[in-house]
Amino acid sequence: MNAFTRLVAVCFALAALLPLISNRYTLFIGDAMLVQIILAIGLNLLVGYAGLLAFMNGALFGVGAYALAVLHDGQHWPYWLALPVSGVVAMVIGVAIALPALRLSGLYLALATVAFAQFALWAFTHWDRVTGGPSGLKVTPTDFYPFPVSSETGQFYLSLLVAAAIFWLTRNLLRSRIGRAFVAIRESETAAEAMAIDVTRTKTLAYALAALYAGIAGGLFAPLLGLVVPESFDLFQVVFQFAMVVVGGMGSLAGSVLGAALMVWLQEGLRAFKDLQEIAFGGLILLTVLFLPGGVAGLLRARFGWREPLHRPTQRHQPHASA
Amino acid sequence: MPALETRAVSIAFGGNLVLDRVDLAVAEGTIHGIIGPNGAGKTTLLNVITGITPPNSGEILLHGRSIAGLKAHRIAAAGIRRTFQTSLLCKGMTVLENVMGGLHAKLRAGALAAAFGLPAVWRDERDAAEAAHAALAYVGADALAERDAGQLSFGQQRLVEIARALIAEPRVLLLDEPAVGLSPDRVTHLDALLRRIRDERGVTIVMIEHVIRLVVDVCDRITVMNLGRPIAEGTAAEVTRDAEVIEAYLGSGAHAVHSGA
Amino acid sequence: MSGLTTGGIYAMVALGLVVVYRSTGHINFAHGELYMIGGFLAYSFITQLNIPYVAALPLAVAATFALGAATDRLIFRRLEHSHETTLVLATVGLSFMLKGISRFFWGGRGEYLTIPPIVDPAPIFVFGIPVLAQQLVVLVAAIVIMFACLLFFRLTIAGKMMQAVAENPLAAYLTGIRVEQVRTWTWGAGAAIAGAAGVLIAPLSLLTPDMGFSLLIKAFAATVLGGLGSVAGAIVGGFCVGLIESLAGGYVSSSLQDVSAFIIIMIVLIARPTGLFGAFRLRRA
Repeated sequence: MNAFTRLVAVCFALAALLPLISNRYTLFIGDAMLVQIILAIGLNLLVGYAGLLAFMNGALFGVGAYALAVLHDGQHWPYWLALPVSGVVAMVIGVAIALPALRLSGLYLALATVAFAQFALWAFTHWDRVTGGPSGLKVTPTDFYPFPVSSETGQFYLSLLVAAAIFWLTRNLLRSRIGRAFVAIRESETAAEAMAIDVTRTKTLAYALAALYAGIAGGLFAPLLGLVVPESFDLFQVVFQFAMVVVGGMGSLAGSVLGAALMVWLQEGLRAFKDLQEIAFGGLILLTVLFLPGGVAGLLRARFGWREPLHRPTQRHQPHASA
Repeated sequence: MPALETRAVSIAFGGNLVLDRVDLAVAEGTIHGIIGPNGAGKTTLLNVITGITPPNSGEILLHGRSIAGLKAHRIAAAGIRRTFQTSLLCKGMTVLENVMGGLHAKLRAGALAAAFGLPAVWRDERDAAEAAHAALAYVGADALAERDAGQLSFGQQRLVEIARALIAEPRVLLLDEPAVGLSPDRVTHLDALLRRIRDERGVTIVMIEHVIRLVVDVCDRITVMNLGRPIAEGTAAEVTRDAEVIEAYLGSGAHAVHSGA
Repeated sequence: MSGLTTGGIYAMVALGLVVVYRSTGHINFAHGELYMIGGFLAYSFITQLNIPYVAALPLAVAATFALGAATDRLIFRRLEHSHETTLVLATVGLSFMLKGISRFFWGGRGEYLTIPPIVDPAPIFVFGIPVLAQQLVVLVAAIVIMFACLLFFRLTIAGKMMQAVAENPLAAYLTGIRVEQVRTWTWGAGAAIAGAAGVLIAPLSLLTPDMGFSLLIKAFAATVLGGLGSVAGAIVGGFCVGLIESLAGGYVSSSLQDVSAFIIIMIVLIARPTGLFGAFRLRRA
């Protein structure tokens, strides 16, 4: 276990103590952080490791949340079933959008996902029969019977478990040939093909995973908020989610965790100044990209010499003189 | 049967005929050089063979099997690997991980198995790492294993790329200007390495090169290309005396200057 | 008619997008915000500084040109050697920053600004169809500006230099053209075209800081329809999107108007990815 993993493990362990020492509000923030961590890991997988652009993570987050509301509250499915299915629904939709544009350049893909984000918001608002329109859908807090915990505490621990599991699973995935395939695609698709990597299939996997994580995050978010409304998944999600990934460190799993926690904390700090949030997060992305390309994770790497497999190169590529 | 063969392969880009009915036959277990002035279509030929761009017409046969029109990664999986003019190594991964990447198609870990860290996957990874060390040692670059691939010099990049290609145990190896930017010492090292690859592993090598000294020294046969067509083919001695070749390189009226290899 | 007018606006914004894309290979996600800022600047010039509309147009255009050029100078030049996603993310960050700053200066969510009409709002009749004179003026102005742009690129030296840099930066560099400088101008030019579109639409529509994004999507749809990288395609695509939108809104459902852009994009990508006029270059070499 390298230093980064140890750090994240410690954070998760400490988080397990949170319900014992905090009030409802802090618990809520903590749970929100865990949800965003899951989102950030998925997005980082896609953009940071595989180098693929997609702007529909916020929309798929919404799809997961709505799916959960419909299945759990509408169709009375048990939560433990509705949650993974919400993730799968988001995954299927995410892949369906990405598929037509996959064989073309990354730019087309990015454009299609941006347009989809707008379309999804429109669907959330106008498809009243399913989504409840602008007033949304209510989600009853999850009942954790037979565990003797309150709904909020149970939800928190569930989010913690899921976040930790996703961190661990993704870490394993990235240390296998699939992680190397992602990075190969990011650095040079031509070289990746020459290494007998099925680029189209691997890209589809990256999009599927990011969508799955977003959907699961949505399914955890819905009971947390108690309400699923279109505004929660508007354009602002784009800048917020990318801020998490960029500031945390693109191509760094631990960076996703740190970035998510930091951005949720910042958003809470700016709760009173909603209008400034756009400037803050947009500006953070810009400043980080210009002056701290590796994000917080890169800073830790540089400062403490920590290593992390498959991180995103931060120095400009300069060819050296021949040996 | 030739290891690699192209028959009347042509390709045009936006009205420019870049390859004009190219016939090439590379015998099994030989080192075959492709030389020619800039713009002759050499790299394009390699790109067409490896499936980066499908040819407009013609046949491409790998050990008698038609591969024209197949997707690039399938062609690579079929036993033909290549290096690139500007070494396309993946920054952000160590040299070892880059070389392990060459084994992608031979490892069997699916996403689910990998995510759960199943023992079979870990074993595969360990074996792959060993094979990568062995490939690096073979080309003389094992000391670089833990370095970030973005921090290598040109010469080092080239060796690592060859290791990445070799790890998959291809039967045909395509090299695009492997000697560019190498010091004379390194060229000698490369010369010896290519011979070992051919003799010890029976790999057929096709090499685009401009460093004539290397070509003449190590290639069993040479094809000269100009303006998208092969204009001469034969041993080094035959080809360097060919009048058309001299004219292509040096322009007409340069016959008198020629003094032999 | 309004479909044609909005189509003209879309065409202009799409043109600005393509101009920058051809020269740099990058899509600027803040492009919509430049359009929005053009409109808001016109608003301020007219209602707060009492500058007449005709003078406000060039002023706002000059301002957006400067903004576009500045973003290249300060931001994009420094990111030239990074991975392509890095630059796109920078433009995303910039887009939200500009939006937030505009919201701060000109008013936030649900506060819509308008500027007084520049032409008598009574409808005139063209071939028996009632047409708002304002719309006609905007449409004509849009066409004139686009035409002027095309002439600029073909006939002036500056325009030709921009084309040269777009086609083959290395060759342009070798002939002594200062590629980085020209790129900055190109960013400025693309921004100016978008800004001009914003000024033109201002008398016809409500100004909000969010209008940039929805226009960006329509400009995307226009370029995808016309073929990414094709200037003619962007213009034709823009008019098409405008017409399709007003038809969809008129005949199917008014709420469908908002999402016809997305539907267009998906249909084109599935059916004919290279668009009407084919792709100029899907990837830069």
